[in-house]
Amino acid sequence: MSNAPFDELETELGKFPPAVLDAYRESLEAMESSFSSEELLLWAKEGSAIAGQTVRSWESAVEYYRVCPKVARSLAFPSFMQWARCGTYLSQDSPALAVSFFKASPSIVSNLRPQYIPRWAGLGRSLYKGTWKSSTLSSRFFEVSPDLIRSLPFWDVEVFASLVEALSYKSYDIAVECLTLGKDVLPAMGREREAFLAMCRALSDGNWREVKSCFEVAPKALQQVDEGQTSRFLKLGERLTKVGIRDTSRFLTDGSNALSQIPTGSQAHILDLCEGLLAVTPEAVPCFLKSLDSVTHRVTLNQLDTWFHHGVQLLKDNPESGIAFFKVESNTSESLLETLSSSLELDRVKGVVRLYCRALSGSPIEVMNTQELVRRNIGWVDEDTASTDGTKVFLPPVVDHYQDKSQNFSWFKVVATHQVGHLEFGSFFYDFSKPALQFEEERRYALERERGAQQISDDVLLGDMEPDGQMRAYTDIGRFLSLFDNRRLAFDIFTVLEDCRLDYRIKAEYPGIRRTAIDVQSDTLSRRPEVEDLPLQEALVELLIRMSLDQFNNLPIPVDFREEATMLAQILYVLRSVSANVEDTAEATLRAYEIISRLENETQPEDQWEPEDMEEPGEFSEEEFQSLLDKLQASQDSSGDAGEGDPYDSPEPVDYRGDFKPEMVQLLTKLQMDQNQQGEGEPLSQEMLEQLLQDSAELELDAEQGDINNSTSTFAQNIMKEAGVPPPNSQPGQGYGPLLHDDDQGGELEAREPKTYVYDEWDFRANDYKPRWCVVKEKSLDEGDSNFYNDSLKNYSTLLSHIKRQFELIMPETFRKIYRMVDGEDIDLNAALEAAADIRMKVPPDEKIYWRRNKIERDVSVVFLLDMSASTAEAIDEGRHTVDDRDAPDDPVEYMVWLRRRREGLVRRHYKRIIDLEKESTALLIHALESIGDNYGIYGFSGYGRENVEFYVIKDIEENFSERIKRRIDKITPLHATRMGSAIRHAITKLENQDSPTKIMFLISDGRPQDRGYSREGVEKEYAVHDTHMALLEAKRKDITPFCLTVDKAGHDYLQEMCGDMGYEVLGDIWALPERLPMLYRQLTA
Amino acid sequence: MVEAVESEQNEPQYKEYAIEEFLVRSEPYYRPVGDELELFTAAYNQHIPVLLKGPTGCGKTRFVEYMAWKLGRPMTVVRPLDSGLPPQDLREGEVRVPLVTIACHEDLTASDLVGRYLLDSEGTRWIDGPMTRAVKAGAILYLDEVVEARKDTTVLIHPLTDHRRILPVEKTGQIIEADDRFLLCISYNPHYQSALKDLKHSTRQRFISVEFDYPPADIEAEIVQKESGCSEEQASALAKLGEKVRNLRDHGLAEGASTRLLIYAGRLMREGIPPRRACQVAIVWTLTDEAELQRSVEEVVSSIFE
Repeated sequence: MSNAPFDELETELGKFPPAVLDAYRESLEAMESSFSSEELLLWAKEGSAIAGQTVRSWESAVEYYRVCPKVARSLAFPSFMQWARCGTYLSQDSPALAVSFFKASPSIVSNLRPQYIPRWAGLGRSLYKGTWKSSTLSSRFFEVSPDLIRSLPFWDVEVFASLVEALSYKSYDIAVECLTLGKDVLPAMGREREAFLAMCRALSDGNWREVKSCFEVAPKALQQVDEGQTSRFLKLGERLTKVGIRDTSRFLTDGSNALSQIPTGSQAHILDLCEGLLAVTPEAVPCFLKSLDSVTHRVTLNQLDTWFHHGVQLLKDNPESGIAFFKVESNTSESLLETLSSSLELDRVKGVVRLYCRALSGSPIEVMNTQELVRRNIGWVDEDTASTDGTKVFLPPVVDHYQDKSQNFSWFKVVATHQVGHLEFGSFFYDFSKPALQFEEERRYALERERGAQQISDDVLLGDMEPDGQMRAYTDIGRFLSLFDNRRLAFDIFTVLEDCRLDYRIKAEYPGIRRTAIDVQSDTLSRRPEVEDLPLQEALVELLIRMSLDQFNNLPIPVDFREEATMLAQILYVLRSVSANVEDTAEATLRAYEIISRLENETQPEDQWEPEDMEEPGEFSEEEFQSLLDKLQASQDSSGDAGEGDPYDSPEPVDYRGDFKPEMVQLLTKLQMDQNQQGEGEPLSQEMLEQLLQDSAELELDAEQGDINNSTSTFAQNIMKEAGVPPPNSQPGQGYGPLLHDDDQGGELEAREPKTYVYDEWDFRANDYKPRWCVVKEKSLDEGDSNFYNDSLKNYSTLLSHIKRQFELIMPETFRKIYRMVDGEDIDLNAALEAAADIRMKVPPDEKIYWRRNKIERDVSVVFLLDMSASTAEAIDEGRHTVDDRDAPDDPVEYMVWLRRRREGLVRRHYKRIIDLEKESTALLIHALESIGDNYGIYGFSGYGRENVEFYVIKDIEENFSERIKRRIDKITPLHATRMGSAIRHAITKLENQDSPTKIMFLISDGRPQDRGYSREGVEKEYAVHDTHMALLEAKRKDITPFCLTVDKAGHDYLQEMCGDMGYEVLGDIWALPERLPMLYRQLTA
Repeated sequence: MVEAVESEQNEPQYKEYAIEEFLVRSEPYYRPVGDELELFTAAYNQHIPVLLKGPTGCGKTRFVEYMAWKLGRPMTVVRPLDSGLPPQDLREGEVRVPLVTIACHEDLTASDLVGRYLLDSEGTRWIDGPMTRAVKAGAILYLDEVVEARKDTTVLIHPLTDHRRILPVEKTGQIIEADDRFLLCISYNPHYQSALKDLKHSTRQRFISVEFDYPPADIEAEIVQKESGCSEEQASALAKLGEKVRNLRDHGLAEGASTRLLIYAGRLMREGIPPRRACQVAIVWTLTDEAELQRSVEEVVSSIFE
């Protein structure tokens, strides 16, 4: 190696202060190992070039030589020289800048890709504007660079630098401070950094002083916002800034405070609202966020929506008052909150009300929103009125009658009790041939005979041989109501009288509710229309209503018709008895109708009314009734035609009693029953049903004539669907037609691929197995990230230690010494000493002086089956509508679309899903199981159709626990449907090969089994439930203990049938799953 | 002697019996619902062991007590008494049918039932366990919640419950033939969820099974009134409540309200506790800890009681 050029260089360097040469010599040695001699020369020369730039640039050169050995370690020579050039240029502008640059370099080059180095240098350079202050700023930038570059992507650093530059035009001091703050704040941020910087950038154009405060408050503020929402929150801030709202830092603090009070899952919704508000009046957003906290303390999130939308309307009309509204500084706002906060939403008390109804009725009643009933479109139209269809009680979604929550709840209770009363006291079990208990004469038969004779003569006259009466007789109520010409009037009377009977009965049976019921009744009374204004027939019905509501005093009675009114009161009184039944109501209806229908429906003059008390109308007697009837008939005959006057109109409904539709209920029940007894008699066709509906007085078909036909046919179709009758297009005349689904046809399947298995399926109708019916495909679940497992353990650390303790209690029994035994392995010294002492004292000693080890060996094998059906994607959110599987279309293509749509709709949310809790519980369980050493397997199942039952291995029963299993848990996701039977059968196969004395199969699901074609002839639910039941039975026969845990609150309905006497549990509170699952397992095996 | 009489008022009063000498002397209240009396009597006469199935608090134990009393008072005298020194004198025509009740628990071993050697100051001495005593004395032996006992007890139950009617006492090397009046009776609550605790079929098939359930509302009202002394109205309201609450058995409640609980509530009412409160402490809070269920049951209570 020629030394000449180097000597030359040394001379050159000698011209500078000696520090330069020293630094050079010091690093030369280290550099020799990195570069070739030519390269080394270039390196050395660059230093001299730097030193020669300006008077003070020798300082830069010293720094250059000093850091070179470290930098050279990370950079190849070309990049190295590029880096050195950057320094050279910088020292041209300002040696101080170059010094900072070189100083920062060693830790930068190891973290930054070489091609970014010039850009980085450029960032620092761009901050330098030739002034002293700017050079300080720029040097500061290089100083903080290592921290930034280490933890931020480079483009974020660029954005930050440009922000600092923008600030520097306003104030160097602020810029420097932000730079320093940014060094700590930015690396701590996640994805929201970008949004944060964008917001600050927007700020720097206008209210630049705010930037610094934002940097100061951001870390704390953003912590309070849900991770997934921070970006949106900041974006909101940016947009607010852009429209000129000052006080961005206030927005950050207030906003995040407000959001922190909102449950995590709902923050997105609040931000939705804010964004909506931004579009209307940006100024209102901070006000809204500020009052959010106090508002949400008073009302629920659903109610918040109502309040919010009211405010938005105000804003549109008058921004001033709108803003006052959002500040809750206006009366409107205050009183709206007042009403909202005292109102009671059904969703919040649904669970309690449902159990209450079930307790009273003793049948698995569902409580639903009335909107649901209207949506089904089977004849119920009123969204605000309670009703029941025999298996479900429908209640209005919100009650706000009273200024007090508990009073509103009492209202719910009265309404629910009344609806359940229809079931409990048999309104729907009306049987035409059952005798009435209170009335001696059975007038209905006489009437029927009379009408029958009339009917035949009519038919003969008209030549119409289709006997209408037979049609109506499809239900007992129908048969009864067909006795009357004015069916509407008859039905109205029937409703009033039946409700009267029920109210009386309820008050007698449930004294506790009496007080509230009386309140509700008198409340209702105060809103009834004036009797005097109504035409006579309606007035009399109204009188009946009032009496049924317990008003017997001061009743306005038309003087000319006192006798009739008294007779009506007597009839009504008959029903006020605990032993009156629905047949009595019918007989009473008949009598009341006979009176009212014979009167002319004309408005009575005002002076004709006199108030009267009807508290003791006297005993009803058939003779008096008959004589009154004869009198009426006589006057009617003499005056010509009956019932002249205004057409009869139904009375105002009594709101708390709701919609009473006995004929519809009987119809539905009957349809369902016919459906279940296949082949017996001819089923009702859609045409017949339509006819029936048109005759019914219960339907309010007051639409245009054209619509009626249309809507009755829709009703008819929906009703048949409701009753589970197959659509009539399935070849009429052939009974129930062939099987509905394509894949129900076809025959046995074969397992062609490896790891596929074929199983039979139980057909409960045929009472036999369908041979080789389902193919189970066993797959290993993909591996994801093991973080999920670890995070779950971390998140539930308290619970985890609790579970562990509980499990430890089972475990050590194997090893634990048990003291004070009658016999054992060795003498228990303590006890022996005591015994010896006793003997000395001549006291009979305790003979338990041995210890032994507990010999019970624990040997348990268990398989966990996780439901991975699409419905587990459902977000867990109180009050949100549960996914109703009944809507699942049968057609395969539609079914897939339906599934996908449902899944997409839910995946986008940030809420926790059922499956997430299943996963977390699995993690906890694995942890616990590992500690006691039970033999276990964890599998997920899903699938689509019988040829495609997917069985995912998360941990095979013979597999050992490992990182891979942790990673597989991460990949548990909602997939398709739930064909439980085959999955259970495959799990049985897995367990069968184990030789533990105790084998357990633990099924965790979120709903009833369902799959495409997991049904026969449209009896969707039953088939699947029966097959699953059979599969569980098979398990039991093979000495496997099955246990089902479901998070479906409605699970009791079918689990009873599905599990029989096998163990099951319905988890009311899904959040309890991680806690409950390990505990149940412990209980099951302890 | 005088002093003793004086202090009698304040002394705790109790009676002490040897286990096999406990007779049910006064008629326990039992209201038959079906033909269980006839069945049990027949089984007793035929030496067929009896298994009583049913939920908690529906009257199984009371039934056995009642049968012990009733069988001790046959219309015709079955056989004369052994002479000796009976601590409880039998009245004329009475038969000695002692009742030995053992509540089984998971630590109950065979030797707890049969007996064991005791150390005493002079050496060791054999002590008969309750089962041995019952077998010897010809008692009705009632093993309550038998599934809870350790598995080794089945070794004892099997030979006692078939035609042999013997009790092998391993430690003394003896076999005891049961007295003619001896009958084994066990109870069993089928709603247990533990897989490890179930009655084996070989055991079950040595018994006839009598199923118990809560009585129908009218009978239950009668029982509640009789047992608690509350008013007739309260009793029938309580029976109604029981019926309603049991409707929830498959909807979240593990067990319905037992007749025993209804009686407790009735007793509290008799003492003047307001009905709603009595039901709350005796029924609602006893049945469940789950808030929603509690609330629901309370709503039922508040509907039925004013």
